[in-house]
Amino acid sequence: MNRRALLAGALAAGLAGRARAGPVFRMGLTPVFLDNDATVVDGLREALSRGMGRQIELVQRRTYQEITGLLLERSVDAAWLCGYPYLQHADALGLVAVPSWRGGPRYQSYLIVAAGDPATGLPDLRGGTHAFSDPDSNSGYLVTASDLRRAGERAETFFSRAIFTYGHRNVVRAVADGLVRSGSVDGYVWESLAAIEPALTARTRVIARSEWLGFPPICARRDSTGSEPVLALRRALLGMGDTAEGRQALAALQIDGFQPASDALFDGIAARMRDLEA
Amino acid sequence: MQALGRLPLSLKLPLLAAAMMVLVGAVASQQVLRALAQVQDARVQELAQMHVEGLSVALGPLVLRRDVWEVYDTLDRASQGGEGRRMILTAVADDTGRVLAATDPSRVPMDSAIADLAEGAAALEDLSVGGSDPVLRLLAPLIYQGRMVGEIVTELDVSDLLTERRRALMLLVLGNAVAIGVLAMAGYAAMRQMLRPVSTLARQMTRTEGKPHPIPAAEIPRGDGELARLARTYNAMVGAVAAKAEAEKRLAERERFVALGRLSSSLAHEINNPLGGLLNAADTIRTFSDRPEVVRQSADLLDRGLRHLRDVTRASLDQNRMDMEHRPLSAEDCADLKLLIQPELSRQAQSLDWSVDLPDIPPGLAAGPVRQIALNLLLNASAAAGREGRVGLDASQTGSGLAIAISDNGAGMPQAALDRLLTDAPLSPGGGVGLRLVRDLTLGLGGRIGHERAGGFTRITVSFPGAPDAEG
Repeated sequence: MNRRALLAGALAAGLAGRARAGPVFRMGLTPVFLDNDATVVDGLREALSRGMGRQIELVQRRTYQEITGLLLERSVDAAWLCGYPYLQHADALGLVAVPSWRGGPRYQSYLIVAAGDPATGLPDLRGGTHAFSDPDSNSGYLVTASDLRRAGERAETFFSRAIFTYGHRNVVRAVADGLVRSGSVDGYVWESLAAIEPALTARTRVIARSEWLGFPPICARRDSTGSEPVLALRRALLGMGDTAEGRQALAALQIDGFQPASDALFDGIAARMRDLEA
Repeated sequence: MQALGRLPLSLKLPLLAAAMMVLVGAVASQQVLRALAQVQDARVQELAQMHVEGLSVALGPLVLRRDVWEVYDTLDRASQGGEGRRMILTAVADDTGRVLAATDPSRVPMDSAIADLAEGAAALEDLSVGGSDPVLRLLAPLIYQGRMVGEIVTELDVSDLLTERRRALMLLVLGNAVAIGVLAMAGYAAMRQMLRPVSTLARQMTRTEGKPHPIPAAEIPRGDGELARLARTYNAMVGAVAAKAEAEKRLAERERFVALGRLSSSLAHEINNPLGGLLNAADTIRTFSDRPEVVRQSADLLDRGLRHLRDVTRASLDQNRMDMEHRPLSAEDCADLKLLIQPELSRQAQSLDWSVDLPDIPPGLAAGPVRQIALNLLLNASAAAGREGRVGLDASQTGSGLAIAISDNGAGMPQAALDRLLTDAPLSPGGGVGLRLVRDLTLGLGGRIGHERAGGFTRITVSFPGAPDAEG
């Protein structure tokens, strides 16, 4: 027994040591933030890698759906999703942490038009072209689509044409450049852009803001939320503000930090989902 | 053209040389500009082809999926590149002709018809930087995997190429103008220098002193060129002209002697002609001295004959004096003629047809010349008619003029005599001067001489016009 226990212990220690050195932790990223900025992504990876004590691979895809799919099929260990796809797969996914932005774990969806556009609200945009971010984005699709449903409209007919740009920054560009008349964009991204690319956001104008909704959370598969790498991720995220590297990454992301999340945070999104499907 | 024709040669040739240089310059400039245009067209076409091919590769799948954003994003990123500075606008449409995206969505909105933008657009191979439009528009199919999935319209900014072309044109024009100006001036100076002998020649030839002047030796070009030969030939010609003038002068002088001889001959002729009649009159006086009326008549005849001789002598001594004799022709002059000729006719036993019908002798006809003309012709006719021949005089009025016809039944006048009477041909040596005198006198009175030969008779008609003051 002792020998076996010893063997087992040695094996376990060996495994643990190997784990610390390295199976790479793969984390998926949706374009919920400024994913086009390499320094932001690099900073995040460095901070998480240091915090978790292991190598991190950040996996980016064009659409939310692709990242959600990777998470569900275990190609990634965790992912920064949006509240909307999280709720769509709430049975299979669990919350790891949620960013805190401007003092809380919530954000808004913005409805934007070009700076010179006289529109003052969603009803004024009828018949125009519209840019959504992603069909699985809360701020970049669900909010506006559900608003229209609540008003008895459908996005496909209310707008003359709606396109998906698969990136919040792309929505801002599409509106600013006049490719479309209006766009649905993540308020956090728009505000971040206003800080680092004021010339771009200055060409747009926010004409409507949604209620405060749950910020896009970091999720893992429900069956792995208790596993070591995910717990390590959770610790690294929650303690990110404790290290200089972490603070630097948070500053680049323009968020305060990460905090534990509960399902109740996403009730607003759930309500919109229900309204949209109604 | 006429103005050019009036210009002197020394100005015209340099101007022509300059004009030809301008022409050559213009043609050369045209060639340079055409070559430049070809290079520019090739450059633009190559650039546009690369642009279209690059876009086709990048956009093909996106257009197939009608992914508006990706199409726009690709166009937008492409327009940020170096190539984008020339491509000021690019629009991409799907296979139905609806615009998916353009680099300037405000100008070309999504879903608008590409045909609106494609108006006036050229195909790739027809792309040319011609004209003044700084923007070229290209319409090209978007080929992906061997099939056409959409269309691309691109506007190319060629203002820099146009500026380049304009600058080239300006430089060419400027350079040509300077070069042509310098060459034209040099050509003008050279032509002027070369043509100086011609100018000198023209000046010497057109001098108004009455005769051409030789070109001074200092102004004759050196060597044996055409112009030197021309100048020497001209000088030789001037010498020849001077020699000819000298010869003519000498000839004229000799002519005066000839005329003098003719005059004396004429004088002898004129004195000799009436002498028979006058001697006859003297004989009559002697024979019929007891008949006072005959004596008086003969004395009158003598008197008139001697007066005539005096006149003839005076006229012979001074040809001009004869023309100035102002005594008008009278009926007596005709009678005198008959009397003067009668003895010669009698001597030859000739018959005379005398017909004078002058009821009103035209005034202004001087008696002297007319008498001399008629007498000379009568004497000639008498000589021609021969013994027992017939001689006739028919004087009649023709309007305000006078016509005298002298006829004879002789053998006709020889050609030499006719020439003397009817032409100004030089007198052949040996011939008399009587007929030429008739001609000279008749022409001097403004008259005409006619000759006809009919029915065995020679008929010389001298007609005088009436005096101008007689008309009015």
